[in-house]
Amino acid sequence: MSDRYDLSAIAGDRRDISRRELLRRAGIGAGAVSMSAFLAACGVGGSNETGDQNQDDGLTTTKENGELNFANWPLYIDRAKGRRPTLDDFTKASGIQVNYKENIQDNETFFGTIQEPLANDQAIEWDIVVLTDWMIARMIRLGYLEELDHSLLPNFEAHAGQIYKDPVYDPSNAHSVPWQSGITGIGYDPKLTGGEITSFNQLFDPSLEGKVGMFKEMRDTFTLTLLSLDIDPQEASIADIEAATEKLIEQREQGIVRQYYGNEYADALLRGDLAATMAWSGDVFQLQFDNPDLRFVVPDEGGVLWVDNMAIPQNAANPIDAHTFMDFVYDPEIAAQITGWVNYICPVPEAQDLLLKQGEKDSYYKTVAESPLVFPTPEMEANLHGYKDLTADEEEQWQDLFQSVIQG
Amino acid sequence: MATQVETKPTAPPAPGPHKERRKKRAWILPTYTGVIIAYLFIPILVMIMFGFNEPAGRYNFQWEGFTTKWYNPDRLLEFEDLNEAVKNSLLIGVISTFVSTVFGSLIALALTRHRFRGRAGLNLGLFLPMASPEVVLGVALLALFVSLNVNTGFVTIVISHVMFCISYVVVTVKARTSGFDRSLEDAAKDLGADPWTTFWTVTFPLIFPGILAASLLAFALSVDDYVITSFNAGGTVTIPLWVYGASRIGVPPQVNVMGTLLFGIGVIYVLVSIFRGRRQGAVPSPPVKAG
Amino acid sequence: MARRSRRWSPVPYLLTLPGALWLTVFFIVPMFTMFSVSFQEGNFEEGFVFTGYWQNYTNVLTRYDTQLFRSLAYGLIVTLVTLCLSYPMAYWIARRGGKNKNLFLLLILLPFFTPFIIRTLAWKQLLGDNSIILGTLKGWNLLPESYQVLATSTAVLSGLIYNFLPFMALPLYVALERMDPSLLDAATDLYSNRRQAFLRVTLPLSLPGVFAGSLLTFIPAVGDFINADLLGGVNTVMIGNVIQREFVTNLDYPEGAALSFLLMGMIVIGVFLYARVLGTEELTG
Repeated sequence: MSDRYDLSAIAGDRRDISRRELLRRAGIGAGAVSMSAFLAACGVGGSNETGDQNQDDGLTTTKENGELNFANWPLYIDRAKGRRPTLDDFTKASGIQVNYKENIQDNETFFGTIQEPLANDQAIEWDIVVLTDWMIARMIRLGYLEELDHSLLPNFEAHAGQIYKDPVYDPSNAHSVPWQSGITGIGYDPKLTGGEITSFNQLFDPSLEGKVGMFKEMRDTFTLTLLSLDIDPQEASIADIEAATEKLIEQREQGIVRQYYGNEYADALLRGDLAATMAWSGDVFQLQFDNPDLRFVVPDEGGVLWVDNMAIPQNAANPIDAHTFMDFVYDPEIAAQITGWVNYICPVPEAQDLLLKQGEKDSYYKTVAESPLVFPTPEMEANLHGYKDLTADEEEQWQDLFQSVIQG
Repeated sequence: MATQVETKPTAPPAPGPHKERRKKRAWILPTYTGVIIAYLFIPILVMIMFGFNEPAGRYNFQWEGFTTKWYNPDRLLEFEDLNEAVKNSLLIGVISTFVSTVFGSLIALALTRHRFRGRAGLNLGLFLPMASPEVVLGVALLALFVSLNVNTGFVTIVISHVMFCISYVVVTVKARTSGFDRSLEDAAKDLGADPWTTFWTVTFPLIFPGILAASLLAFALSVDDYVITSFNAGGTVTIPLWVYGASRIGVPPQVNVMGTLLFGIGVIYVLVSIFRGRRQGAVPSPPVKAG
Repeated sequence: MARRSRRWSPVPYLLTLPGALWLTVFFIVPMFTMFSVSFQEGNFEEGFVFTGYWQNYTNVLTRYDTQLFRSLAYGLIVTLVTLCLSYPMAYWIARRGGKNKNLFLLLILLPFFTPFIIRTLAWKQLLGDNSIILGTLKGWNLLPESYQVLATSTAVLSGLIYNFLPFMALPLYVALERMDPSLLDAATDLYSNRRQAFLRVTLPLSLPGVFAGSLLTFIPAVGDFINADLLGGVNTVMIGNVIQREFVTNLDYPEGAALSFLLMGMIVIGVFLYARVLGTEELTG
């Protein structure tokens, strides 16, 4: 940290001015030098080092170290007999030991815990983290991720589905490759809605009063609402978001919305507390085991494809081992093994045939392989959109507007 | 306060004229207590029940059929991160309960039995942690650890838990020690006991119910904390963290079974301690005269 | 009590030292940072800088006054209800619990050793629109078809009451258990009326417990967010939810911090007033 304020003070760079300097100017520092040094050092609330320090300075090493520290969400990799076959296979194939931890509970909280060390240019203990696309975009912008060396990822080039290559959130997959993905659309129970749901606007129908679930995840809710207003989410202006906000507030004030949900919408849908709700494809696939009547649709106006990605945090100790693993899971056999258990959307289309073959012996795999919620149809894929990559200012404006929707 | 009321009448109470009416209504309060405790247990019953469920998909929301297979150790211990989370939670719970109970009880004693400079400030400093939103405590502590270059993990979780438990311990123990009758201690001293002996034979038994209640509260707070822990956990996973993260994919029945087993251990502990209490009268309490 | 206090003694300082040190390093110091953060401006990508921007406070106050007052109201209701619910129970356990007092104590807390999410999920299963309880009542036409508990204030308040009941019951028990039973019997004789005896002896003597229980219930209940999050609906958002979102989702640390200190300030004032009313010297020392 110390070099930063000295240099910026000399260079006279206003924006890069240190907090310590500012505190001193504000007259806080006088009797409490140590305190202000502490404040400056702890960097609560982000960094001011957007540029210079975090610029890509190459990987920490150029060879495998035989070790990989992998942070993922709970239950997000295949299991059998108390083991994780994919990790066992990987260790057998490469000799790399994997320290796999299920310690990501959600994107934002996890970001909150790694932001400070990364902003201070410290390493965190993970070589691979799995995060959703918009968070990947934010971390790229902040310079928190290593650039990938695609010469080490031949399987990815050969087997990844077309829609997963060169995504909006990470052009030419420079910093990330997909782990699993999903669709945000509508889940509903035809018995309770009294008919088919095809349009997102049906969630704004007063006849479903108190039986509609919406998400408190801003990007999902705004993106679907923008699509229902015939606005391309990628081009959305603040005026567009204001229009979407108005539409959502009206929906709330008419008493149509029961609640703004996180993951908990799933049990409410199964219990019949909700007739129709914004939903994630993978959840509805699981719920259908309990209630086969439940349906999932991509709204006519369009749905969201979100992607959870593997990425290497800045200064990771074992980046080459991380590449080896990333490439390993793009082997169709391995991809089928993971998707066969996780049941989210698989980024490797070839896995479908492998699962179908497995389905001849075990009908469960047939169900998985044939479900459009795991392997979406081309028509579904054609109607999917990504989130807009938001700058910090846009993010703040969007969040403020969204806050007025969900915290009324 | 109110020390004048607290002097002990020595004469045994004469049977009052109201004994009759009292007898007739004697069932009301025990029944009421039973109802409240039953109410507290309702969700536990549901948890236990769904530990015997055989869910069709990955969600354990709907009753699909009875099975005991989740109690099979192979299935039960299937998720090593969950096992580790259980171990971590218990260990963190015990350590932070112990430390915070000791620290908190000492402060409670000092506050109620001594007048000293800084009392008011200490009182304020004690209840501000309770008034701070958890997320603020979590973020502020994380900032501290990062600035000190401390890696977050098991130790930092314990540190944070001790921090937020101390206040709860102090308040609970203080409900016991304030207006404390010191005549017994004085009597012990007059009989020649040194301060150390006086403390362990007179003071401690008198405040023990407060300490016990406080430690139970601290343990419950520790094992159930999500927000503060999530910021200071590093790679260490506790039960609430794992379960919260798993809820995206579906909380497996093993969590219910683990919960049931922990609950069972609690029940066994209760039974054993009653049994031992009966035999030894280990916890001194004022003699109770049944209505 | 005052007898010994004239002479300076190191004892109280030694007793408080470990705990006070812990709180200083791990609470007061970090909170000072947070306090300075509440006067900063900026955003998370370009960083926040201290500019003495006190408008953070007025901004959040005008924007979130509804949630702030709703939370205070919920906190009051929850404190009153838990007090009424747990006093008779604590009284019975303390006075008539016999040798099994500690058993009851543990029984009250055992349910809280299980993960919060599991307990809440259970309540949602029981209180769903078509659940065993509501579904049956609706089947008998005792409730209108559209009746719901979940996603209403009732659900949030019930959740808070359920979860904070032990925080009230334990200190009450601890204070009531201290009383000498013979004292109560004497009072019964003296006032020749059980209600009088209760009002004039038991209740005043249990006030430290009432005060402690109210603190342990009111303070965390006002700042709670998870009950509103999981059980509430669109009009039950509490200030804790707003703060949580400011910090975790919006990464607007200055506003989140300002809101937190505003909340803490209101709680401190409220508690001091309450201490005055109860006439307890607990806080003011």
